[in-house]
Amino acid sequence: MAMDDLVSRALDLAEVRGAGYCDVRLVETHQERAVVRNGVVDTLSDDESLGIGVRVLVNGSWGFASSNIVSPLEVDRITGLAVEIAKASARSSNGSVSLGPPVTSRGRYTTPIQTDPFTVSPEVKLGLLLEADRRMGSVAGISARTGNLIFIREQKTFANSEGAHVEQTIYEAGGGIAATARGNGEVQRRSYPQSMRQQGCAGWEFVAAMDLAGNAERTATEAVALLSADQCPSGVTTLIVGASQLGLQVHESCGHAIELDRVLGSEAAYAGTSFLTTDKLNDFQYGSSHVNITADSIRLPGLGSYGWDDEGVPAQSTPVVRNGRFEGYLTSRETANGLGLESNGSMRASSWNRIPLIRMTNVSLEPGDWTLDDLIADTDEGILMEMNRSWSIDDRRFNFQFGVEIGYEIKKGKLGRMLKNSTYTGITPEFWNSCDAVCNEDHWTMWGIPNCGKGQPGQIGHTGHGAAPARFRNIQVGVMK
Amino acid sequence: MMGREAALALLDRALGYSKGEEADIFLSAQDLGLSRFAGGAIHQNVAHGNITLNVRSVSGKRLGRATTNDLSDAGVQKAMAAAHKNALLMPEDPGFLGLPTPPEPDTVDSWDQATAMCSPETRAKIVEGVCLQGKEHGLNVSGACRTGVQEIAVVSSHGTRAYHAGTLAGLIINTMSATSAGWAKGGSWRLSDMDTEALGREAVAKAVDGRDPVAVEPGRYPVVLDTYAVDDILEALSLYGMGAQAVQEGRSWMNDHLGQGQTGGQEGARAMSPSVTVWDEGTASHGWPVPFDAEGVPRQRVDIITQGVVNTPVYNSYTAGKEGTVSTGHQAYFTGGPIASNLFMQEGDSSLDELIASTRRGVYVTRFFYTRLAHSKNCVMTGMTRDGTFMIENGQITHPVKDLRFTQSYVEALAGVEHVGSESKLVLNEVGFATRVPALKLSSFNFTGVTV
Repeated sequence: MAMDDLVSRALDLAEVRGAGYCDVRLVETHQERAVVRNGVVDTLSDDESLGIGVRVLVNGSWGFASSNIVSPLEVDRITGLAVEIAKASARSSNGSVSLGPPVTSRGRYTTPIQTDPFTVSPEVKLGLLLEADRRMGSVAGISARTGNLIFIREQKTFANSEGAHVEQTIYEAGGGIAATARGNGEVQRRSYPQSMRQQGCAGWEFVAAMDLAGNAERTATEAVALLSADQCPSGVTTLIVGASQLGLQVHESCGHAIELDRVLGSEAAYAGTSFLTTDKLNDFQYGSSHVNITADSIRLPGLGSYGWDDEGVPAQSTPVVRNGRFEGYLTSRETANGLGLESNGSMRASSWNRIPLIRMTNVSLEPGDWTLDDLIADTDEGILMEMNRSWSIDDRRFNFQFGVEIGYEIKKGKLGRMLKNSTYTGITPEFWNSCDAVCNEDHWTMWGIPNCGKGQPGQIGHTGHGAAPARFRNIQVGVMK
Repeated sequence: MMGREAALALLDRALGYSKGEEADIFLSAQDLGLSRFAGGAIHQNVAHGNITLNVRSVSGKRLGRATTNDLSDAGVQKAMAAAHKNALLMPEDPGFLGLPTPPEPDTVDSWDQATAMCSPETRAKIVEGVCLQGKEHGLNVSGACRTGVQEIAVVSSHGTRAYHAGTLAGLIINTMSATSAGWAKGGSWRLSDMDTEALGREAVAKAVDGRDPVAVEPGRYPVVLDTYAVDDILEALSLYGMGAQAVQEGRSWMNDHLGQGQTGGQEGARAMSPSVTVWDEGTASHGWPVPFDAEGVPRQRVDIITQGVVNTPVYNSYTAGKEGTVSTGHQAYFTGGPIASNLFMQEGDSSLDELIASTRRGVYVTRFFYTRLAHSKNCVMTGMTRDGTFMIENGQITHPVKDLRFTQSYVEALAGVEHVGSESKLVLNEVGFATRVPALKLSSFNFTGVTV
């Protein structure tokens, strides 16, 4: 039986069984991974996954079931099971779910790429990692080195009982290297292009442009230099946050805080809630006038780029913070309808065996006017911090603390000594309201975060965050003891 | 559920397609249900499962991998061929000594038919019950109730034929008032082991007692850590250094505490209080029993820390081969290094009340949240308290406090253990990681901030 026929079969059966709404996702994923550790290939793997998930509303309550067996009999079984589960949900209900206006999207979308990464030979991919590894290993004092590449092709069919039917092929490519140095009673790590790896909705060209090998020796040299660098001082000072670290700052302190399911309590028992409660919409100064944040699912190579979300809602762009004022959430059909809005298409599931949740798209800090050189020159005293090493934030997304791989002292408008173990901490709206400058688009990069955890059962989301370096005043730094 | 015969037959069939000099296949199957609730009602309710074949194929000193969930002949053949192709593409790894030839693992009992058969209706009744408990106190109740079956099996060209099926049940409850929150978590391989009403009472009490917290100044305080917080410490010490790969690469907190010149096996200096003894034991029935790892190697008991002395990390076959020793059965997942994932901490002789009574002025922490490694040396962590934090004055809990941020070496924290609780709790986390831990009284803990 053709795949489309299986999807129709599930929709038809759900209706017969009493579902007021049904959607079906058929997802096939191919992933290629390569990891090199300390001069040897640790992993070279081809991973394939195929399955189908059926989500239903019965008497206004949700049920979901899924299977890796894509056959008519199994589709019948999981559709019946989803209906049974929905009926159990109705035992403990706060009222009937309403999805708002019907979604009837139809069409096809494929990530625009230049070179299909699956047509590039594994020898070329391993050669790239091994050369980067060799160059890191040429630096005396390195105790461990790693490099990794990942390529993903996800083919997804979505259909619902309202008439939507969309097909998408999403490509992702990513890679990164890291060197660890041990000595002087210290352990220090440097990564490139960012911690773990940089990843985007793109083809092979995205990885080729990183020039991992060309940056390997510098990365390792900085790791060794950090062993004898001075400790980041403790105190309150001016902070310039580098673009990659600021991407994660946006992710943690804005991206999660604007997930409307989280705001409404759906994640309370696990990840937590949000300080950006609905009374603050259009009535809260989230940041200074320099802070403009957008959530979009259309800005490539952001990892949150696609044609339609997993409810069939078209990709789009939403202002989140304009001139510092809080103006928008990431929404689903159900949560948006509760506020009298329409979904902005932010529902995604990590796999065929997970339900869609509100996930960050490409939540980005828009560029300002400064060059980085001018920004440093304009800073009398402070610290420049770059590349995430650790991150932690409370359950309402207020109190955060970040550690970075490398810091530099700024004195009288010039970069000075290297600093190790640099950290900063703050309260989200106080932090963003202390922003007095953002660098321009020449310094702006779309960073990919491929390891965003949310939901129970757990889901790993892939999100994009554009950012350029920015300056913040009166920030507590150097919190290690 | 597949069952032993079907699982092993599938793996035998797959092995028959191998073109490698050696091969093994790790099967991981789940059939799980989870009812999630918020605002006192179920808002997400799912059945989710998968059956994955994880293939390793060897050619000389090269090991290729592939995974698939397509269990058709064509799908299995494709995965076997992909793993073999990947092996041929790799350069030789002198450190790879071949796939292990493990002895037959012991069988462990972690199967409960009632748990395996638990329906969405049964989970809904549990949810109704705990939501009612919260409602009686004006609390907003959220959480998740899960039940299901997990199967693992390994077949290899070295003759390994191992299979295990276990059930699981878990309940997380979060209670919230306008100014406070509480939390409780239960887990077992037997649903009937979970006293869901008691868990509801625990979560309710913390939120009721935690109303109107006051801010306290950050700084160093003695602390009483309840079991969920101690679980976090063991998890972090495991993830950031109890595996031999991290030690061999010099990025483990253990590196400064193991015997001179040794990865393990030789007694090191005392890094923690003599009251601290930690071991990993995958087959213990009062933990989270899993008899063998992803390589089919029986999980050995490993005495990781004995009376404060750091003994040894855990090994998979690759890291063991590098040191001329044998795997301890800790290849927890298909890829990645070895992980200690069934941890126990030795109980002491103090009740929780006695731990609190021994504290003149300190903080009672019921739970940590969002903890992350700030520095690998001595495992410096940062994170928040959450869902129930209280001031202790003159041996008594006097009032709730606003959540605090800490930045603290977990190794140094355990050096300051003054008393150990007499009762332990099994804490089962999301990804098959379990600890059985007591509460602890620590002499000092470094709080570096407070939330608003």
